[in-house]
Amino acid sequence: MNRVMLFGQRFHKDDLMLPTEEYYRRRQRSGGLGRWILFIVVVLAVVIAAIGAEVNAQELPGEVDTDAAFLETVTLDEVKAGDLLFTGAEMGRYIPAVHLASQVKIVIRGLVADVQLQQKFQNTSDNWQEAIYALPLPEQTAVARLQIQLGERLIVGKVRERKQAAKIYKAARAAGKRAALLEQQRPNLFTNKVANIAPGEVVQVNIRYIQPVTYDGGTFSLRMPTTLTPRYIPGESVPVHALGGDELNLVTQHNGWALPTNQVPDAPAITPLMQPAEELHAIGSHKMAIEVELHSGLPLAQVSSPYHKIDVEDQEGGRYDVHLREGAVSMDRDFVLRWQPHASALPRAALFSERIDATSEKAGTYLQVMLLPPDDGIRSQRLQREVVFVIDTSGSMSGNSIRQAKESLILALARLSVNDRFNVIAFNSASRALFPRPVVASAENIRRARQEIEILNAEGGTEMAPALRLALEQQLPGDINLVHQVVFITDGAVGNEQALFEVIHQHLNNTRLFTVGIGSAPNNHFMRKAAQFGRGAFVTIGDITEVRERMHALFTKLENPVATDLQLSWPEGLVADAYPKRIPDLYRGEPLQLVARVEGGNFQGEIKLRGRMADKQFVRKLALKVDESGHGGSLGSLWARSKIESLRDQQMQIGESSDTGQVLREQILQLALAHQLASPYTSFVAVEEKVVRNEKDKLARGPVTNVVPRGQVLQRQAYPSTATGVYTQLLAALGLFSFAALLSRGRKLRSNMVHQLRYLLRKVMPDVRCTQNSFEARPGGVRP
Amino acid sequence: MIRPLLFLVCFVAGLWQLGSAAWLLAKAQLAQLLIVSAWEEQLQGGAPQKPWPWADTWPVAKLKLEGQSPLIVLAGGSGQALAFGPGLLSGSGSPGENRTTVIAAHRDTHFAGLDRVRRGTSIYLQDKYGRWHTYRVSEMRIVDSESERLPVFAERGLLLVTCYPFNALAAGGPLRYLVYAEYQSGGELVRL
Repeated sequence: MNRVMLFGQRFHKDDLMLPTEEYYRRRQRSGGLGRWILFIVVVLAVVIAAIGAEVNAQELPGEVDTDAAFLETVTLDEVKAGDLLFTGAEMGRYIPAVHLASQVKIVIRGLVADVQLQQKFQNTSDNWQEAIYALPLPEQTAVARLQIQLGERLIVGKVRERKQAAKIYKAARAAGKRAALLEQQRPNLFTNKVANIAPGEVVQVNIRYIQPVTYDGGTFSLRMPTTLTPRYIPGESVPVHALGGDELNLVTQHNGWALPTNQVPDAPAITPLMQPAEELHAIGSHKMAIEVELHSGLPLAQVSSPYHKIDVEDQEGGRYDVHLREGAVSMDRDFVLRWQPHASALPRAALFSERIDATSEKAGTYLQVMLLPPDDGIRSQRLQREVVFVIDTSGSMSGNSIRQAKESLILALARLSVNDRFNVIAFNSASRALFPRPVVASAENIRRARQEIEILNAEGGTEMAPALRLALEQQLPGDINLVHQVVFITDGAVGNEQALFEVIHQHLNNTRLFTVGIGSAPNNHFMRKAAQFGRGAFVTIGDITEVRERMHALFTKLENPVATDLQLSWPEGLVADAYPKRIPDLYRGEPLQLVARVEGGNFQGEIKLRGRMADKQFVRKLALKVDESGHGGSLGSLWARSKIESLRDQQMQIGESSDTGQVLREQILQLALAHQLASPYTSFVAVEEKVVRNEKDKLARGPVTNVVPRGQVLQRQAYPSTATGVYTQLLAALGLFSFAALLSRGRKLRSNMVHQLRYLLRKVMPDVRCTQNSFEARPGGVRP
Repeated sequence: MIRPLLFLVCFVAGLWQLGSAAWLLAKAQLAQLLIVSAWEEQLQGGAPQKPWPWADTWPVAKLKLEGQSPLIVLAGGSGQALAFGPGLLSGSGSPGENRTTVIAAHRDTHFAGLDRVRRGTSIYLQDKYGRWHTYRVSEMRIVDSESERLPVFAERGLLLVTCYPFNALAAGGPLRYLVYAEYQSGGELVRL
């Protein structure tokens, strides 16, 4: 009976034109070629059937629920507690009502970039819309202006205390006036809301921000994020009664997918909806054009962008114009520009000054100083190191990121010398150390570590605090002959950054923490601040081809002596308020970069930087001189931004809610108001006086999605995985049994054992088919 | 010589696949028995009972779909919990609370019967105090979990989630089948 099932009915050979019996005899002798072919055909058929079933299933949703009316958008007035909201359109695809187009103009002078970001929000629906957009910005920006542009008209935004600004905006929204609100959620993540965009209308929002340029290892660089990696929100959800039934409001106000938790109370504000780039391009949204005007003041050897194709035009007077070759590009990865002076003209020091004459508190003289410690004549003496590598294997790392992370880790392991000690910690929801304690970097241990690293998968949560604690506690502080280092490889996609900085601050001892930022859109705020609190340095890797070069930059820092005990002295009679307040240790290639506000005395003399490097004292001098290079007030903004950051760091160490924390809050607030900057406590708000929307027209909420970073897999943020794959296994079992049956048939010599097995097989096979049949017989079972 | 070996390999591999499929199904069914007793104990004693000492979840509710046998709902939507029973997602409301209750389960084990649910079907849910709450199905919907989030709102309601399509071979697809049931009544101590 099995044979009939497997081979089908055989016709009588007289009825058909069939090969001769001789042929069959030969075929029997020649062995199982025919059976092999049959097997392959069977397997192919199974695979094709499986694919067919899958495709059928994919096409179904559109047919099944056509009667259900899908809500394309949800109006604010309609959103009442209990409404079942589906923002999805047909085929499970979300089509945003508000489209986004961005244009960026960057002017770089000296060590400051002045960026004009123009974002056009186009309402493609028939309703009035409120656009809500999570705007990623560079981590050290000072946001200095917000404007709404309507044709030729400009509505200028003002800085107000955060709650007050939100109130003004809400009132304007309800009254039907055009309004924009820019709130800081994280130093590198803002929320931009634009209310009352008429059907078919385009509203342009202009944002201006100031950003310092990075100089490291002889290369200047500037980074601008265009999207973000979805952040993991740790902690328990806040109980409903604590929210006062307000959570719907919270989520819809911020366009977030996460509810507040005890660790991340502002979760909805930092978890925008994400959409794959292809979907957004299909509707022509989320494109960005970038133009850079680079006044380097130095002849450049090279201008490059690692993730975009650019055209560089060499203008007169050390000016370079940079454009994207493809015009507007997808907003799915950070834009990075690097420029390198000729080796003979590498700057060792720079000083920029600016005098702001205003009646406000902002008036004063501001200085920007860049000073490199000496790096010649100091032999690098290789110290014994103990390195703990921490690799993030959370879900947000899936796709290209985990490959880059593994590659960099393996490269770092190969770099260890035999006297070094190391350990590897992999974490997602849980942390796991490869060895209980750091071990000697012997060939055997490294081989073992490599094997373990190769099999790592990216899935699960990002519980970073336990991993950090584990890494920092691995190293015994008593051993002063060893250099303790932690290398943290992650995309930094977490919502509780502040808490993590606290962990680093408390558990650091004499360890140094280095961060390696991975992916097309890493959280650079986390990378930079973690390295700052960890007294280390950070590098970012955005592409697999970059791993070697960027890791080499990190090794240079890990292996070379550090300039420590740095102190800066100012000329007599000059009072300077300089930030960062405490000068960090400088790694090979890193300059001292600070901004100061100076008062009193003559503007002359020398700034002296004293420090130690490889047990030798050094002094670097820089003569003060007035230079009016025309920064347009940007140094003042930069100074205020640095001071706010310094105050925030102090506040973190003593707690925001303590008395001193509240005093610091007040200081930050006053500083931000005086300098008209966005800060944790101040927001920009712009309101048009004219009422444009009638009361009877409803206002819909149009969340503007962010593009999924290139090379990343979209996270299933809320829905759990709800299938076991049991059908696949049953099918595989059936296929394997069929093949086994095929093999056993037609054998000339049947040993006793095989005979018994066949007997067993005959007994088993009907059972298996019954199991399969029972699945087919079920309602809604396998589709034909 | 090669042929019996190949046969043996295939046969053993087949047994292994069949075995692991059977194990998944058996685990899903057998665990429910253990969980039922833990649930009963919990209703008597009040304190959360783990069904077996090393379990990382505990029963939180009892779910009965009209015309189907009751299931014990476990806490959390993790893979470990879902292997043994439907999971009440953290962040969603407990039965009767002013917040959508979200329960997810595998389409090929516990929620295999979810495709038989129609508009108007009654769903009963017992909370940890032994009270039964009644819900009536008002909506079924297929969503793409990649572009949408779970609709959890501040009103009593029940949302059942499973994978879609029901008979797809591979696990891990992006589509989800949602059944939303409106709150009808609750609070009475009913014995079903």
